[in-house]
Order: sequence, then structure tokens, then C-alpha cells
Amino acid sequence: MGSIKLENIAKSFGDTEVIPPLNLSIDEGEFVVFVGPSGCGKSTLLRLIAGLENATAGKVIIDGEDVTNVTPSKRGLAMVFQSYALYPHMTVRKNIAFPLRMSGMEPAEIDKRVEAASTSLNLNDYLERKPGQLSGGQRQRVAIGRAIVRDPSAFLFDEPLSNLDAALRVGMRLEISEMHKQMGTTMIYVTHDQVEAMTMADKIVVLQSGVIEQVGSPLELYKSPCNVFVAGFIGSPKMNLLSGEVAAKYNAHTIGIRPEHLSISDTAGEWEGVVGVSEHLGSDTFVHVHFDGSNEPLTVRAGGDLELEYGTKVFLTPDMKKLHRFDESGRAIR
Amino acid sequence: MADRKLSRLMQAPAVILLLTWMLVPLCITLFFSFIRYVLASSIRPEWTSPSIENWRGFGNYLFVWNNDGFWLAVYNSIFIVTSIIVLTVVLGLAIAILVNRTFPGQGIVRVMLISPFFVMPAVNAVLWINMILDPVLGLQGIAVGGLNEVVATLQDAPLVGWFFSLWPELIPISFRASQTSAIAVILMVTWQWTPFAVLIFMTSLQSEDQQQKEAAILDGAGKWSMFRFLTLPHLARPVSIVVMIQAIFHLSLYAEIEIVSRGNGNKNLPYLIGEMATNNIGAASATGIFAVILANVLAVFLLRMISKSLME
Ligand SMILES: Nc1ncnc2c1ncn2[C@@H]1O[C@H](COP(=O)(O)OP(=O)(O)OP(=O)(O)O)[C@@H](O)[C@H]1O
Ligand SMILES: [Mg+2]
Repeated sequence: MGSIKLENIAKSFGDTEVIPPLNLSIDEGEFVVFVGPSGCGKSTLLRLIAGLENATAGKVIIDGEDVTNVTPSKRGLAMVFQSYALYPHMTVRKNIAFPLRMSGMEPAEIDKRVEAASTSLNLNDYLERKPGQLSGGQRQRVAIGRAIVRDPSAFLFDEPLSNLDAALRVGMRLEISEMHKQMGTTMIYVTHDQVEAMTMADKIVVLQSGVIEQVGSPLELYKSPCNVFVAGFIGSPKMNLLSGEVAAKYNAHTIGIRPEHLSISDTAGEWEGVVGVSEHLGSDTFVHVHFDGSNEPLTVRAGGDLELEYGTKVFLTPDMKKLHRFDESGRAIR
Repeated sequence: MADRKLSRLMQAPAVILLLTWMLVPLCITLFFSFIRYVLASSIRPEWTSPSIENWRGFGNYLFVWNNDGFWLAVYNSIFIVTSIIVLTVVLGLAIAILVNRTFPGQGIVRVMLISPFFVMPAVNAVLWINMILDPVLGLQGIAVGGLNEVVATLQDAPLVGWFFSLWPELIPISFRASQTSAIAVILMVTWQWTPFAVLIFMTSLQSEDQQQKEAAILDGAGKWSMFRFLTLPHLARPVSIVVMIQAIFHLSLYAEIEIVSRGNGNKNLPYLIGEMATNNIGAASATGIFAVILANVLAVFLLRMISKSLME
């Protein structure tokens, strides 16, 4: 229950090809996150899986069964939308019960399931309210409740947390991860927030203009990005990317080094630069160092206690073992 | 505080004007309804001028209440108004949903759909009763005559003639008769006002949330369930607007009734008031007050019904 496979799936809107043929397989029980910049086709891919969009070519296979031409409701998937898409005229109870009602379930059984879902989501006090009388976080819970009661073989989330404030987002993130651990159901989660991707995923799929750049566990992507795009996209703050003479010294077209793998010293080191803005987060300090070999300042992650005067001369040394090298086409050299 | 006082002061002329506009006619009507007041009377010439000395109390109301014509008019008013409302809402919904899809030539179709609304009520009535519903010269007469002729020729045909000779000759319906004239009024007003309903429903349909529909598709809702549980509740407010506005307009139908049958069999309250007002102003005023009460009762009743049935 809950393995999903895409075979050469492609999607065009008119003449514009949004997703060139791509292959992807998602194992049962996996938490897969689609990340990528805005407009790269994450939502489209999710909607193809859900059946809300018809594939131009290729197949969607769920649990070994070709469902490319099966109607959305028969695919056994539940989707949570960014705008929640709750039914505004129905109470929370009716919203959650709606999919069960549509499947013609016994009222008694419906009540039991709604009760169970609302208890697990802390919605018991709001069952008789309309969506308009709920906060954003509560609405999100109702949307999740409506997905849970159907007991789907996989959950699809399209940026479910992007309308929430930062604190609530962290809370809901944990709740969804917790839910995944408890239920063990396959989940596909679309986001452009790479913190969400890193913290929640078993497997991250990085997309750029409809093409899968890399698939792997969060640490795999962090440790060995297969190209410049993934290297720059995964990790926060961004990896420092240098090209030209500096990179040539390391036999590469481009080199990449993460802020945490640069050591800073005021006496000696590989690269000499001038301190720009320092961002003090308490636990860490992000120092931006202007360096001749790079157009953009390099970001260095240092201890929280480090205090450097603006304009001070410093030396940076990359950790050679953690240095990423890329060739002209942007692919990693291993 | 001072600001609020000032703004009140500035609003005052408009408020006063509107109040006078409404209250003066209502008060005059109320006053007339409690006195004896006729336009011409050779026996009681003192009744021909409105004066408090001719006080009649609830006499006019009793006179109207015990008049069979009044109850027939009340019944007709309700029958005509509710029939038109039900027909326009149902037709309006169906057409709005059909026209809301994208299809070639939708711009022209939409403009044509609205056009009946621009026809003057009296012209509308003349067109319908003479050109469409007339049992001899109208479309109805021509269609029925044509059908009869076809059947008559087929009766002489070999083999199938026996079958058609079992058919009775069709008789066209006269819509000026007292039993059918209200139907004619309902038909023509429905034709004219359905575009209004379509227009209002269409704008509202376009503001429907697409993600809700997608969620409903995933939840396994079919076309009908989606209409019933998403579209109809979404349209509850526009439907009540259409119902309210039409209730107000159609309770005062006059031109159509005059033209179709001169009130023969389909007299409604305004028509009855008009007839009474040719002489008995007191009774006409009392009927007017009854009409005001009826309009309010009908409006409250209709709105209750809509909010109950559409909002789940
Ligand atoms: N119905 C449509 N018709 C035409 N083009 C579309 C349609 N839907 C999406 N697109 C295009 O497909 C591309 C991918 O859209 P999609 O919504 O999948 O992006 P996304 O990765 O979800 O972006 P975001 O993070 O902003 O939500 C975009 O360039 C968009 O303009
Ligand atoms: Mg999207």
C-alpha cells in the first residue's frame, strides 16, 4: 500500500513543456519532498500524481497498478492544498466527514472516524464552527483531518505551511513528521522551503524547470550534491561558489565550500579577504568576507562569540575534505 | 465626538429627504384607508373630499376583507409572483451553468441572453399575447394549425392512416381566458426576467473557488454532489437577491395584466387597487396597506426558505 512510480511522465500546457519526461519511484511509507524554485513544476508533478492534471505522456503507477486513466478519487490519495480548500458553508465536522459521506459510508461509522481524527488533531472544540471562524493553523488541521479520515494510501501536500507564520510553521512541521512516523503512510510534500525539506524528508527530489536534478536523502544531498544547482539550493546559508582562477587551482571550473567548512583566522590562511557584515544569531555568527577571487562575499559560519570589526583583514581556509568541485557543465567531479 | 456630530449633520438632509419620500405617501395612504373617501357621489357629496370628519375606522379594511375579489387578487398575486420566481431561478441556474463554460461564440450568446431584459414590459406583453400565444394568428395558432394539417394528411395515407385517425384534433389554448391568463403573464415575465437571474448567477459562478472543486473531486464528489454541496451554497446569496428583487418588482405587475386580459381572471393586488381607485379611494388605500403587509410576509417567508434549503 502506497508505492508510487512515475514512468516517463510528461506534461505540456499547449506548446510549453512544463515537465519533460521523467522517472521517479517512491517507496511505500517514504516521506518524499519535492523542492525547487518557484515555477519549476512541483505542483504540476503533484497534481499529475493526484490525477487533477492529465499527463501528456507516460504512466502513473500506484501499488503496481497503472492508474494513469483512473479518476482522482479512485486513486486512494488524499491531498492537502496550500489554500486549505475547505468547504466554507460546512462546519468543521461536515468538512471532515465529506469524503466519507461521498463514499456512502454509514453515518455511525462516519461519526466514529471524524471523532477519532478530530481528537488526534485537537479539533474537538471546533467541530461545530465554520472554517471562516478558525485561525490559519486550525484550518490547516481541518484540511489534514479531511485527508486522514479517508485512510489514503498516500498523502499529497502542496506547500501546506506557506500561509502560516514562522512559529506555527515549525510546530506544524513537527506535527506532520510525527503523523508520518505514527501512521507510516507514504507522503509526498511540496515546498520551496529547504529547511522543511531537510528536516522532514526521507528522500528529497530537487527539481529545476521540470527536470529532476538529484534524488537522495537530505544528508546525501548536503554532502555530495551532484551539480552546482543542487549544491547552491540545498543548505542554509547557501554554499559559497567560486569560479575562475581560484577554482582552477583546484583543477575545477567551479568550486563550492559550505560556510561551516571555512575556517577563519587573522594571521594566516589560503584566501585573504576583508570582513563585511557579520550576522550574530547567538549560537552562530555568519561573517560575510569580501574576497578578490569572488564577486559575491563569502559566507563563513563561525562560533557565536566571534566578533570582528567591519573592514578587518582576515584569512580563510577551506576544509579540503569538504570542498566540492564541478566541471564546465556544472557536474560534480568525484 | 465633534466629528461624528458634524457627519451626522451632513447626512441629515439626505436622511430627512429619504424619510419624507417614504413616509409621506405611506402616511397619506394610511389616513385615506381610515376615512370614507370617494371621487364622485351624488348621494353623499361630503365623502368626495378627504376629511377626518368622514372617519370610518377599520370599516374600509373590513369591506375589503369581506370582498371575494380581494382574496382572488391575493391568491393571484402570490401565484404569479412565486411561479415567476421559481421558474426564473431554476432556468437562470441552468442557463448560467451552461453558459459559464467556454465555447466558441460565447460573447454573442451572452449578449443575446441578456436582451429580453431590455424590452419594455408593455411591449413584451403585446408581443407575447399577439405574436406568440394568440390561438389563431400567433405562433401557437400557426403551430397547432400546422400539426393538425399534417395529421389530417397522414390520416388519408395508406397503411398508417388508421393510426393517425385515432388522433384527436388539437385545439389551441386561448391565453386571454380567465383560467389561463395568469399563465400567460407568468410565461412572458419569466422570459423577460430569466436573463436577470442568469446575469447575477453567472458573475457569482465565476468567483467560485477552483481548489475547493479539486478538493471535492479528490474527495469523490460527482458532478451532482459538487453542484449540491459547493455551487448551490455558494449561490445562496445571489439566489436570495434575485428572489427579493423579483418579489418586489412582480408584486406590482400591472402592464402585462392590463394587456393580456384587462384583469379578467388574473387580477392581482395592484390591478385591484387601480380598479377601486377609479372611485373608492378609501377601499383602494386599505387594499394598498394589505399589499404592503403581504409583500413583507412573502419576503420574510421566501428568504427563510432559501437560507434553510440552500445553506444546509
Ligand atoms: N494551467 C496552466 N496553464 C499553463 N501553464 C501552467 C498551468 N499551470 C502551471 N503552468 C506553468 O507550469 C509551470 C510550473 O508550474 P507549477 O505550479 O507546477 O510550479 P511550482 O513549482 O508549483 O511553483 P510554486 O513554487 O510557485 O508553486 C509554471 O511555469 C507555470 O506557469
Ligand atoms: Mg506550486
